Amino acid sequence: METTFHESMSKLNIAVIIKLEPDFSEGNVSYNPDGTLNRAETKNTLGPHSAIAAHAAFFGRVMYDAKVSIGTMGPPIADVALQQAQQISDAEELHLYSDRLFAGADTLGTAEVLRVGIGKMQGRIDIVFSGHRASDGETGQTGPQTAWKLGFTFLGNVISYAVDLKTRTIRARRLISLQGLPNVIEEIEAPLPVFISIDPTYKSNYNTVSQRLAFQKYQKEATQRAANFKDALKIFNAKELGVDETLVGLPGSPTIVYKVERVPKSTATRRAEVIDGSDPEQIRKVVAKMKEALSAMVIK
Amino acid sequence: MAEKYRHLYVVIEHEDGKFLPVSLEMIGEARRLIDDFNSKYSSNEKVVAVILGHNIHDLSKQLIEYGADAVIYADNPELKDVRNTIHTKVISQIAQDTKSLSEIEPEYTQDVKRPRYMFFAADSIGRHLSSTTLAELESGLASDINKLVIEDIEMSHQQKTGGAKETYGKTLEMYRPDFSGFLWTTILCLDNRNPAFRRDYHPQSCSIIPGVFESLKQDSSRKGKIIEFTPTIDPQDLKVRVLSRHIIKSEVDFDTPRTIVSFGRGIKDDPEPNIKLIENLAKELDAEIGITLPISKKPYQISQALDSKYMIPDRVIGTSGHKTSAMLYVAAGVGGASQHIMGMKDSGFVVAINPDEEAPIKNECDVFIKGRMEDVVPLLIDEIKKQMQITEVQ
Repeated sequence: METTFHESMSKLNIAVIIKLEPDFSEGNVSYNPDGTLNRAETKNTLGPHSAIAAHAAFFGRVMYDAKVSIGTMGPPIADVALQQAQQISDAEELHLYSDRLFAGADTLGTAEVLRVGIGKMQGRIDIVFSGHRASDGETGQTGPQTAWKLGFTFLGNVISYAVDLKTRTIRARRLISLQGLPNVIEEIEAPLPVFISIDPTYKSNYNTVSQRLAFQKYQKEATQRAANFKDALKIFNAKELGVDETLVGLPGSPTIVYKVERVPKSTATRRAEVIDGSDPEQIRKVVAKMKEALSAMVIK
Repeated sequence: MAEKYRHLYVVIEHEDGKFLPVSLEMIGEARRLIDDFNSKYSSNEKVVAVILGHNIHDLSKQLIEYGADAVIYADNPELKDVRNTIHTKVISQIAQDTKSLSEIEPEYTQDVKRPRYMFFAADSIGRHLSSTTLAELESGLASDINKLVIEDIEMSHQQKTGGAKETYGKTLEMYRPDFSGFLWTTILCLDNRNPAFRRDYHPQSCSIIPGVFESLKQDSSRKGKIIEFTPTIDPQDLKVRVLSRHIIKSEVDFDTPRTIVSFGRGIKDDPEPNIKLIENLAKELDAEIGITLPISKKPYQISQALDSKYMIPDRVIGTSGHKTSAMLYVAAGVGGASQHIMGMKDSGFVVAINPDEEAPIKNECDVFIKGRMEDVVPLLIDEIKKQMQITEVQ
């Protein structure tokens, strides 16, 4: 009974939007002497939050036999990030939206490109995943703004999800952390389609033998696909996408970066006593002071 | 000249009948900005608090006492829990409601269309709500801001002005620290005055980092207008059902410990053993372990167990993480980016371990132990064992 139901149900279509970002791993990241990122010397890779979004999509692949498509806006070299995300998610379809007209876009201008791009993916998309935010200064706005433009229900900080294919609804758990309050896990239910920005603490759980077998099968498939990722890759420029050129890139961006400056060094709030860390006698005195600090304040 | 945009709207967050501190901090900063604005431009624009929820009339009134000139509130059972879609719709309705604008200032009824500026909190709720609201309003948003200035800005910009020199009056300069904490990016939201694609972009909006600005003392002598807004609620916008809410305890506790030991990129020469050293030090001091923001980007290959325990956003001390006022704060291999300093500067006694005497952390500590953490921490552990074991038993 179950299987006939399953077969008659239309398939789940998942999209992931990802971003190429500076690689912050040691050896690849380069900092200027003043502590700022040296972008020219730093390599690029699939952003870590994008990778988590790809893992969440792969969960849908394993659990619901979903079809996965990935989209990104970026320069031609961003195809590397698509390949990395394909390796994680076993995506069938890779979209790169690349045009000089898109350059300099803020989140609203980027969301417009992604909205149009997602509309060009095969099948009607049921769930879009995005990372929580980018690591290099993007703001976590692109996901929700894309969701809004698509008219999809937006679910933020999702830590786990399950889909009911029969009723086309999703149940998701969200992690809400607010200033000065204990964290809250909220469980919600919503009809598809939804747009999910995935929480950094998201983890996929494969509990049964059949799930683990499916996991292995699709992982193997993903490796083969990623080895030939160009077969799945479609590159769109502005014209091919058919975007309204006044809504993307700089013209479609309300905000601009006006200036970048060093944060001024705060004036010294304490006067440090400098001691030599190799001198046990001085270390002894420091520990005595630490002890004093702790005991003094307990008394109040 | 008639102005289409006036006032600063602040979107308030509250939970269980209490304001989140950031809401009052935003009101405090808005008050300061608008007071300066009104004296600079001989104007009379207002700080307007916007609050949504259920049974919130009494709460609304308090916002006047915290510094708002007016409060617009929407009270409806469907607004009890924050759900992105319906909240976005109602906030957007309020931002475009000329009726409430005319109640705030009857003399401007004809001209004003929208708020000039808008503030949201940069937290789990406000970050997404601000994004969707500004997508709905089709205007600009800067996120995670920690400094605000209002200026007249003269500029020529190829896209914004078509290369012509233009003055953008009353522009909100929104300062955003980057991930390293060493750079400040100023973001502006500007109308397109380029004849090729003219478009108005208002309100100029941002989300504000909690804990940065000062709230004002509650003052019952402050007066202001309380305006009820009746939202239009479309059942289509109520598709999300909240099934349950559970409080969970974070594994990381920065509120109760007397001592915090933090580490930064100074662990880099030998990450895994150094993290274990920090663990030992923290154990001797009965301390919670904190990290700097760059560490949460997982820059080192270490064992999965240590990675998922320590290199996580939940442990970050700083503007984009936790603020602490621990009695004792030990910063090992921490450079001292301002974003980290903001999180730990209220600590009692601060000890820094760093080989570089030029590191900014030196200005923020009471004792600066010059040396590599690999060398210093073991000495510290030995000495603590000698001196502190007795106090442990009370």
